[in-house]
Amino acid sequence: MASKESLDHGRTDSYRVATIGPIKDDNRTADGQYKTRRKPPAKKRKAGDLDDLKQELDIDFHKVTPEELYQRFQTHPENGLSHAKAKENLERDGPNALTPPKQTPEWVKFCKNLFGGFALLLWIGAILCFIAYGIQASTVEEPADDNLYLGIVLAAVVIVTGIFSYYQESKSSKIMESFKNMVPQFATVIREGEKLTLRAEDLVLGDIVEVKFGDRIPADIRIIEARGFKVDNSSLTGESEPQSRGAEFTHENPLETKNLAFFSTNAVEGTAKGVVICCGDNTVMGRIAGLASGLDTGETPIAKEIHHFIHLITGVAVFLGVTFFVIAFILGYHWLDAVIFLIGIIVANVPEGLLATVTVCLTLTAKRMASKNCLVKNLEAVETLGSTSTICSDKTGTLTQNRMTVAHMWFDNQIIEADTTEDQSGVQYDRTSPGFKALAKIATLCNRAEFKGGQDGVPILKKEVAGDASEAALLKCMELALGDVLSIRKRNKKACEIPFNSTNKYQVSIHESDDPSDPRHLLVMKGAPERILERCSTIFIGGKEKVLDEEMKEAFNNAYLELGGLGERVLGFCDLQLPSDKYPIGYKFNTDDPNFPLDNLRFVGLMSMIDPPRAAVPDAVAKCRSAGIKVIMVTGDHPITAKAIAKSVGIISEGNETVEDIAARLNIPVSEVNPREAKAAVVHGTELRELNSDQLDEILKFHTEIVFARTSPQQKLIIVEGCQRLGAIVAVTGDGVNDSPALKKADIGVAMGIAGSDVSKQAADMILLDDNFASIVTGVEEGRLIFDNLKKSIAYTLTSNIPEISPFLAFILCDIPLPLGTVTILCIDLGTDMVPAISLAYEAPESDIMKRQPRDPYRDNLVNRRLISMAYGQIGMIQAAAGFFVYFVIMAENGFLPMHLFGIRKMWDSKAINDLTDSYGQEWTYRDRKALEFTCHTAFFVSIVVVQWADLIICKTRRNSIIHQGMRNWALNFGLIFETALAAFLSYTPGMDKGLRMYPLKFVWWLPAIPFMLSIFIYDEIRRFYLRRNPGGWLEQETYY
Amino acid sequence: MSRNPRLEEFQMDTKPVHRSGRSKCSNFLYDEDTGAILGRTPESWAKILIFYTIFYAALIALFSVCMVTFLQHFINPRVPRLQQEYSVIGTSPGLGFRPLPPDVRSTLIWYKGTGYDSYKYWEDQLIDFLSVYKKKGQTAGAGQNIFNCDFKNLPPHGKVCDVDIRGWDPCIDENHFSFHKSSPCIFLKLNKIYGWRPEFYNDTQNLPPEMPVELQTHIRNITSYNRDYANMVWVSCHGETPADRENIGPISYLPFPGFPGYFYPYENAEGYLSPLVAIHLQRPRTGILINIECRAWARNIKYDRRERLGVVHFELMIE
Repeated sequence: MASKESLDHGRTDSYRVATIGPIKDDNRTADGQYKTRRKPPAKKRKAGDLDDLKQELDIDFHKVTPEELYQRFQTHPENGLSHAKAKENLERDGPNALTPPKQTPEWVKFCKNLFGGFALLLWIGAILCFIAYGIQASTVEEPADDNLYLGIVLAAVVIVTGIFSYYQESKSSKIMESFKNMVPQFATVIREGEKLTLRAEDLVLGDIVEVKFGDRIPADIRIIEARGFKVDNSSLTGESEPQSRGAEFTHENPLETKNLAFFSTNAVEGTAKGVVICCGDNTVMGRIAGLASGLDTGETPIAKEIHHFIHLITGVAVFLGVTFFVIAFILGYHWLDAVIFLIGIIVANVPEGLLATVTVCLTLTAKRMASKNCLVKNLEAVETLGSTSTICSDKTGTLTQNRMTVAHMWFDNQIIEADTTEDQSGVQYDRTSPGFKALAKIATLCNRAEFKGGQDGVPILKKEVAGDASEAALLKCMELALGDVLSIRKRNKKACEIPFNSTNKYQVSIHESDDPSDPRHLLVMKGAPERILERCSTIFIGGKEKVLDEEMKEAFNNAYLELGGLGERVLGFCDLQLPSDKYPIGYKFNTDDPNFPLDNLRFVGLMSMIDPPRAAVPDAVAKCRSAGIKVIMVTGDHPITAKAIAKSVGIISEGNETVEDIAARLNIPVSEVNPREAKAAVVHGTELRELNSDQLDEILKFHTEIVFARTSPQQKLIIVEGCQRLGAIVAVTGDGVNDSPALKKADIGVAMGIAGSDVSKQAADMILLDDNFASIVTGVEEGRLIFDNLKKSIAYTLTSNIPEISPFLAFILCDIPLPLGTVTILCIDLGTDMVPAISLAYEAPESDIMKRQPRDPYRDNLVNRRLISMAYGQIGMIQAAAGFFVYFVIMAENGFLPMHLFGIRKMWDSKAINDLTDSYGQEWTYRDRKALEFTCHTAFFVSIVVVQWADLIICKTRRNSIIHQGMRNWALNFGLIFETALAAFLSYTPGMDKGLRMYPLKFVWWLPAIPFMLSIFIYDEIRRFYLRRNPGGWLEQETYY
Repeated sequence: MSRNPRLEEFQMDTKPVHRSGRSKCSNFLYDEDTGAILGRTPESWAKILIFYTIFYAALIALFSVCMVTFLQHFINPRVPRLQQEYSVIGTSPGLGFRPLPPDVRSTLIWYKGTGYDSYKYWEDQLIDFLSVYKKKGQTAGAGQNIFNCDFKNLPPHGKVCDVDIRGWDPCIDENHFSFHKSSPCIFLKLNKIYGWRPEFYNDTQNLPPEMPVELQTHIRNITSYNRDYANMVWVSCHGETPADRENIGPISYLPFPGFPGYFYPYENAEGYLSPLVAIHLQRPRTGILINIECRAWARNIKYDRRERLGVVHFELMIE
C-alpha cells in the first residue's frame, strides 16, 4: 500500500500486458516458423479462434453510464431482472460456467489403445493366422487347429493389453474428477426486487448480484455500489495484493478500471453490488482458460521414446518377416508355410508384454509419487520431470508461502530481522527495548485486521485473517511478539480513525490510554515511509526523542532503500501523545475535518513485509541446479521483489550479477555492459514485449539465472515456447489462471493442489498436493529413476527376443524341427518375463541421479543402438546358444543326433509319415515326434527362463557391479522365484500337454542352460568392470546403454 | 546418461539439424563430415567387427565345448541314451507303409490301372525300398550277421534275422508288385523301437474281441498247427467306413498276417531289417477312393483311432 505510489505505473503495465497481446499473434515466431511445435495450422478456424482469444478484451460495459447499462440488459439496479427475462437469457447464453476442455471420446481412447503401438502388428499376425486356418480348413479335411488357436490367443493378447492400458489411463484421468465441483458456488442475486440465492451457474447477463468479502466473484460484473470493496486478482494476474474496486470508471482498459470485478477472483474486503456483464466462457477467466485448452501440447518425452522404440522394433520385425517370407519362397516352401513363418517371426519379434510392463512401471512410480504429494494426471508425465532441463516457476504460492510476513523492522536506527520461517525457528529479537515497544504499539493499534473466528488450534502464522495482507502480516507479527492483540486493542479504545486512502497514503487512529497514570490520547499513524517522514519532526531513538535532523533522515533513507532493495514492502510508523489538556478524555475527534494534529509527529520506525520463500525451496532449487536443471522464475510480480526472492531461494546464486548490477558496480551505463558477462538476468515484462524471438533465445541461452518479472499469461507462454525452441524440456509450475496457458504448453505443467485454481489444475499434468516446490525434486528424482529402470526393463525384455526368433530362422534355414513354438514364445513374453521386467521398476538408483545433467532428449534415447547391440547382439546370442544346446541335448538323448536333424523338417512335420527313422534306426510316429518336438519347446522355454535369471541380475545395473548393487530389490527377487515357479508350473501341470503343448521335463534338462547362464553373468560383470575402469572408453561408447 | 561434455553447465543441447529424408539417407550411406559409411567410420566399423568376431568366436567355442562334452560323455553312437518308456518314443510302436506318395504330406496311393507310366513311380518306390532286402548279402558287414532264425531259434546278441523275400510272391518286382493288374501290393512294417519286445497274444482262446474274425480264425488255425506261431505281432487291414469295407475287396497277407516275434527286440544290430507284411488287395473297386486302416496286434501295442496309435492309415485310388 505504502509503496504503491512509486510502483503504480508498473502495476498498470502488468494489467495491460496481461490482456493485450504484445504483437498480433499469428501463431508464428519471428522467423516464420509455426510456434506450436506439432501442428502447422491445419485447422485454420481453430487458429483463428485462438487469435481471437489472445486479442484484447473489447468491451465497453465499464465506459457506458449505468443507466445505459441497465437499458442494455433490460435490468434495474434495485429490482434486477424479471424471472422471465432471466430464463430467456439463460436459455440463450447457457449456464454461467466454463466449458470443460474438450475430451477425447472414450471410444477413441479405447481404439487408440487397441490399435496403437505393437497392437497393429499383432493384429496382422492374428489375421494371418485366421487366413491360414481358413485356407487349411477349406483344403484339408482335418486342419490343425494351431493357427486358429494362435490367432485367438494373439487377438486376446491385443485386446487384453489394450483394455489394460485403457483402464490404467482412465484411472489416472479420474484423479482429475475429484478436483471438480467440490464446492458448489452460490451467488446472491436480485430478481424482481427479491434477494435470491442461486447457484453461480444460473446467473445470466444483466443480473444484479451482491458480493461480500470472502465470496468468489460469480461472473464478470460492473460494480454499481461498493463499500470498502477489495478484490484479490492473484489468480488472474499473479499478484497477491488486493485491489480496491468501486463504482467509478477510471481507465479505458477493462482490466484496469475500478468498476469491474472478474469471474473467479476473490472478494477480500467490503461489499459490492454489480451487474453481470459477461458470463461463462466470455469472461476474462474463460478466455484465458480457452487459450490454454486451445494449445497443442505435443507428446510427452516418454511417449516419444516409446514411439521411437516401437518404430525400431516394428522395423526389425517387418524387415525380418518380409526377408524370410521371400527366402521361404526362394527355398521353395509352400506359400502357406511362408505365411506361417511370417506369423512366427512377428510373434517372436514383438515383445507382447512390454507395453503393459511399461504401463505398470509408470503406474507404480505414479503411485509412489502420489504418496510423496505429487499427483500425476497423465501417466506418461511421470517420467517427464526426469528429463526436464528447465523449470519455469511461478513465484507466488509456489516458491513463496503466499502469505505476507513481516521480515524486517527498523527502529533505534537498527535493522532487525524478523522471523519469517514457517515454523518460527528463526531469530528472535529484543522485545523490551522502548523502540520496539513503541513500534509494536503502533502496529497493533493502527491496524484493522482481525483473526477470523473459530481458529483456536491453528498456529498463528496459519490463521486466516480478515483484512488487508500487510495488516494481516503486522497483526500476526504482533500476536507473536506481544501475545493477545485483541485485549491490547480493547484496553486502548479507539477514539477515532482515518482509514487508508490512496491520496493520503496513510492511516491514522487515536486511542485512549491504558496507562491510568497517563491519561493522554495516543495518535498512531502508519503509511508510505516518505509520507510519514514528512509529517514527523522528531524521531524516537534509544528511548529518547530526538530532533529529526538531516543525519537521521539519511539513516532513514538508507534503511528504507535497503529494505526496498530486498523487495520488501516498507511501512513507516509514527505516533504522538496528544496533550491531555487539549484533548481530554471524551474529546470529540472529527475525522472529516481533522481537529487534531497530523504534523510534527514522532517517527518510530519502519517495518517491512515480504511474501517469504517456503522453507524447503532454497534446498530444492539447489538440488535442481546440481541436477543440471535451469530454474527460471516467471512471475507477475515486481522485478525487485522477484529478484529478492530469486536471490533468497538461490535462483540467482550468490555473487552472480545482472547487467544492471555490473553497471551499478562499475558505474557505467547499462548499455556499455557486455550482456555475456552477466550470468544472471532480470527481464521485465515490458522489455520482453520489445524482444523478438531471437533476442529472447539469446537471453535464454546466455544467462543461466533468469528472472522474468511482470509477465502476462501470453508472455509466460512465449517464454516456455522459447525454451522449447532451444530444445529444452520445460516444466512449468504455477497456480493461477494466468499460468494455465504456460502450464498447458509446457512439456509438463505442475499445478498447486491447495492454492491452485481449477483452471490451472485442468491445464496441468501434475499436481503438487502440498503446494511445495520441493516436491518437484521428488518428481525429478522419480522421473529419472523410472527412465533408467525402464531402460533396464526393456533391455531385459528385448534380450529374450533373440532366443525367440533364432529357432524360427534355424527352422527355415537349416530345415530342423522347430526348436521353440509360438505358444511358448507367448508364454515367455506374457508369462515368465512380465513380473521380472516389472520388478526392475523397483530397482534402486545406481548412483546419485540428482548429481548428473538431464538427459539429452535428442541423443539419449530410451532405446538406443547400444541397448539393441547389447540385448540382441550379445546377451541374446548367448541365450539362444543355451536354448539350442538344450534342444540338441534332448533330441540326441531321444535318438536324433544333431547332424541327423538338419534337413528332416519336411518329413518331421508331415502327418503322412508315420515311421521317421532316427540316428539309431528307431522309427517315430508323427505323434511321438511331435511329443518330442514339444518337449524340446518346453525345454527351450525353460532354458530361456534359466538364462533370463542371469539377464535379470545383470540388468539390475548398468555400470556398477552386482556386488555393489546388492540383491535388496525384493520385488526382483520375487520375480526370479516367480518366473521359475511359473515355468515349472507350465511344464509339470497335468493337462498342459493338451492345452499349451508343454511337456514335463526331466530335471536334468533344466541344467544344460546353466553354463550359458553363468557365462552371461561373468561376461557382463567383466564388461562392467572395464566400463568402470575406463570411463568414456570404447566399450562404454559401444555397450553402455 | 551421456551428455555432450563440451556443453557448459545449464547450456541446453540443441536440436539436431533437421535434414530432408533423402539427404538423411545419403548421409547415412556416406557422411561427408565424418567420413562415416552406414553410420560408422571405417575405424569404428573395424573395431566393432573385431569385437563381435571375438565375441562370437568365444560363444561358438563355448557352445562347441558343451556340445562335444555332452556327445562324448553321454551319447553312445550305437545305443540310444533314453530307451522305451524313458524316451519320448515310448513302448508302443506304430506302423509304416510303402510305397510312399511323392508329396510327403499325402498318404494317397493313386494311379491309373493300365498305364505303366502311371504306376512306374510306385513300383520304383518299392524296388528302391526293397533293394536292401534283396542285396543284404552284399552289403558289407550285414551278410555275416545273418542268422537263420525261427521261433525256436532266436538270434544271439548282435545277429540279425533274415527276411525271406520269396514269401511275398506275387508281390515281387518281377510282377510289378501286381500294380498292373489293379490289385496293388502295399508293404507294412512295424516301427523299430530299441529294445522293445512284443507281448504276444499267447492265449489264442482269449483273443481281444475287437480283433477281426478272419484274423482270429487264422490265428487259431495256425497255432493249432504250431503253437510257436502264436509269437507273432499280428496285422489286420480293413476299410475305414462300411463303404470302404465293401470296396476294398479280399485282402491277402503275405507271407503271414503278422511279424514273427523272433525279429524282436531291435538292438540296432548291423544289417537288421524290419520284417515286412505285403498286403495284397486282390480286387479293390476302381475309380473310387478307398480309405484303408491297418492295425498291429500285440498286448503291449496301444490302440487309439483318434490319436492314431497302433494303426496306419492310407488311401488307395485306382482309376
